[in-house]
Amino acid sequence: MAGRGDCGDGAGARQHVFLLPEYLKDASKKMKSGLMFVKLVNPCLGEGALYLFNMCPQQLFEIKVFKEKHHSWFINQSVQSGGLLHLATPMDPLFLLLYYLQKADKEGKFQPLDQVVVDDVFPDCILLLKLPELEKLLQHVTEEKVNPEIDKKKYYKYSKEKTLKWLEKKVNQTMAALKTNHINVGARVQSSAFFSSHQVSSDKEEDYICYAHGLISDYIPKELSDDLAKHLKLPEPSASMPNPPTKKVKLSDEPVEAKEDYTKFNTKDLKTEKKNSKMTAAQKALAKVDKSGMKSGSTKTEKEQVTADPHKAWLLLMSLKTLPEGSGFFFCVLENHQMPKDVHIC
Amino acid sequence: MESSDEEDVVKYRVHLRPITLRNAAPATLHFLPCEIPVNRPAPVERFFTPAIRQGPRGLEVSFRGRSLRGEEVEVPPSLVGYVMRMEEKGEVSGKQDFPEGSEDEEEQELLEPPEALERDFDRFMGASASFSRFTVWGLETIPGPDAKVRAALTWPSLAAAIHAPVQED
Amino acid sequence: MDLSELERDNTGRCRLNSPVPAVCRKAPCALGVDEAGRGPVLGPMVYAICYCPLSRLTDLEALKVADSKTLSESERDRLFAKMEEDGDFVGWALDVLSPNLISTSMLGRVKYNLNSMSHDTAAGLVQYALDQGVKVAQVFVDTVGLPETYQKRLQQCFPDIEVTVTAKADALYPVVSAASICAKVARDQVVKNWQFVEKLQDLDIDYGSGYPNDPKTKAWLRKHVEPIFGFPQFVRFSWRTAQSILEKEAEVVTWEDSPTEEDQVGHGKITSYFNEGHRTRPRLPHRYFQERSLESATTL
Repeated sequence: MAGRGDCGDGAGARQHVFLLPEYLKDASKKMKSGLMFVKLVNPCLGEGALYLFNMCPQQLFEIKVFKEKHHSWFINQSVQSGGLLHLATPMDPLFLLLYYLQKADKEGKFQPLDQVVVDDVFPDCILLLKLPELEKLLQHVTEEKVNPEIDKKKYYKYSKEKTLKWLEKKVNQTMAALKTNHINVGARVQSSAFFSSHQVSSDKEEDYICYAHGLISDYIPKELSDDLAKHLKLPEPSASMPNPPTKKVKLSDEPVEAKEDYTKFNTKDLKTEKKNSKMTAAQKALAKVDKSGMKSGSTKTEKEQVTADPHKAWLLLMSLKTLPEGSGFFFCVLENHQMPKDVHIC
Repeated sequence: MESSDEEDVVKYRVHLRPITLRNAAPATLHFLPCEIPVNRPAPVERFFTPAIRQGPRGLEVSFRGRSLRGEEVEVPPSLVGYVMRMEEKGEVSGKQDFPEGSEDEEEQELLEPPEALERDFDRFMGASASFSRFTVWGLETIPGPDAKVRAALTWPSLAAAIHAPVQED
Repeated sequence: MDLSELERDNTGRCRLNSPVPAVCRKAPCALGVDEAGRGPVLGPMVYAICYCPLSRLTDLEALKVADSKTLSESERDRLFAKMEEDGDFVGWALDVLSPNLISTSMLGRVKYNLNSMSHDTAAGLVQYALDQGVKVAQVFVDTVGLPETYQKRLQQCFPDIEVTVTAKADALYPVVSAASICAKVARDQVVKNWQFVEKLQDLDIDYGSGYPNDPKTKAWLRKHVEPIFGFPQFVRFSWRTAQSILEKEAEVVTWEDSPTEEDQVGHGKITSYFNEGHRTRPRLPHRYFQERSLESATTL
């Protein structure tokens, strides 16, 4: 827009939209034992990330942000650009400690924790040393020694063996949660409009363990993630990088009931199809159909439909040749929409 | 944009005033399917709210001549929504940091070295409002269960499982 | 004309009708279609039908109905009142399309242009008369767009009816003149009694004719532009006049289907994404997070 920016608008302060655990409201009644945002390392990437630290009781929270193009907030009588939504959730601090223990392990010796958890870039890492039950936590990933002659101080050394056992437990408890939360862990869904109805039931144990491993890998360095994969005897990842997610992916965490059961003719073939990361020509065509037309049917108001033309509907019969063998037919009805290009009409 | 905010956490610790979490008044939030590139007051109550209709399939409104469909989304259980603002640097005053008439115990705490209150170093943030639900709007279609923002709200329950302490052997 | 239903909610569309004269269910009728308020940037577009038995057309002509544009407001009101008096053989029905409906349809993901909207509304009203039991034998329509395509379209919808689509039908056929009077009277009344959905302060109701080239209308638009919300729903956002004022005086709002620069110069964005990916793609977050547009926060 011309001639009017938000700069210099005194009331234009940024507002941050957050979801916080409810108990934080009561946990910290005193300022000094309050809450603060600190920058600490992201143990997966080695880069900085934002965390929330509760001083009393000492607790670490990671912060994820929902960030998608083309969103804004109306907050009471104001507008906030960006449409960000921050979620603060409790984080196991051992992932961060592990990052420093692994780093220090290059020296190959037992060290006191305050010599391990040091960071010039993220000096606030010393907050981690104040966490409760630290010693108990560290048992999962270290060997420890006490020197009774000099002091009662404990000395720690990273233990890969113990760490992998600990991570395996993490993977297992994550797997259990994936199941109870009905997270769709199967191979990538190409198009929710066509492949969703049987998705949930087809997820296999192997899919769950791979998925859980992937989630845990977001909290550990790459090398450790690879070691964990070997430890869990996961199949070698396929050579191709996973594609960025398709624009519309079935995300419901609830089992989805098929509205019309036109999948029963081809369920078997679609399952095998999923394994194939390449799209067939027909799938491409269908994806295109989905994107260009499927939504349009629901865009008109009902009132409009009262007087709108009798629905112009295209019934597309996909040629058998363009689909995997034995797939049968796809039916696709596009209401009030032009025939999509690239789709072969029989 | 306010790049200063972004640098804050690198240079400073940003303290969240706990008392504001308890005193934040409820707010009405709408999550819109478009980018409006400004942060400033807007007459939502006069232009937007009165135009919302309850249609047969959810809420309806229009914004800038485009049709929106919406639905209320609850903040997941055991979470609370907050709108937070960074305080201007000069805004910080000693009194303001603490609840009036604080208990003796709290006074005691204050006498300890104010480690967390290195004034030059620290910035302060407070919750200006709270919410337990918000309205998610989709462009011409109801966001529905597949809306990414809804899916994002399932994260806290999975995070709880990932970050729970492991079972001891 | 009782427009109270519309005054309760003017965000969608509203159909109004006279009782169907008993004679129109027995004798073959002529039915005229016309509209009012197609061009203005403000207010609704009103479609109207008016019908009477072929045998009573001379009685309708005797009322001296004429093209509504050639009549003053008071003459139109008087003629409409006369038609109401003659309710034993003249019937009418209206469809009021709110400016909000026009805006949201024309600006939709799937564009629904004003001509299609007009044609569909006209056809809808004819169908409505048929559904009410009116024995429609002939339909006369003042054209919107090319008369040939419009005629073909209507004739296809109503194969058993003799359809005549022509320019200046409102001057040539008394049923069309009568329909044009109904439409114009309704539009004037709706505009005059417009219940703004918005709670506006200092509302100035001197908006002139509502036509884009009326300086009063333009001045009104400029005065009532709001940087975030644009205009009240009384304004048709899809009109060029409204759009160009918004471009200058309001914030630029971007939607997921807004045309981008990439769209205009081909698909440069996609190729560059993949090229980049091969060289320097950082370790991506797990698909769980990607599918939810979640990432680790790095700043406030």
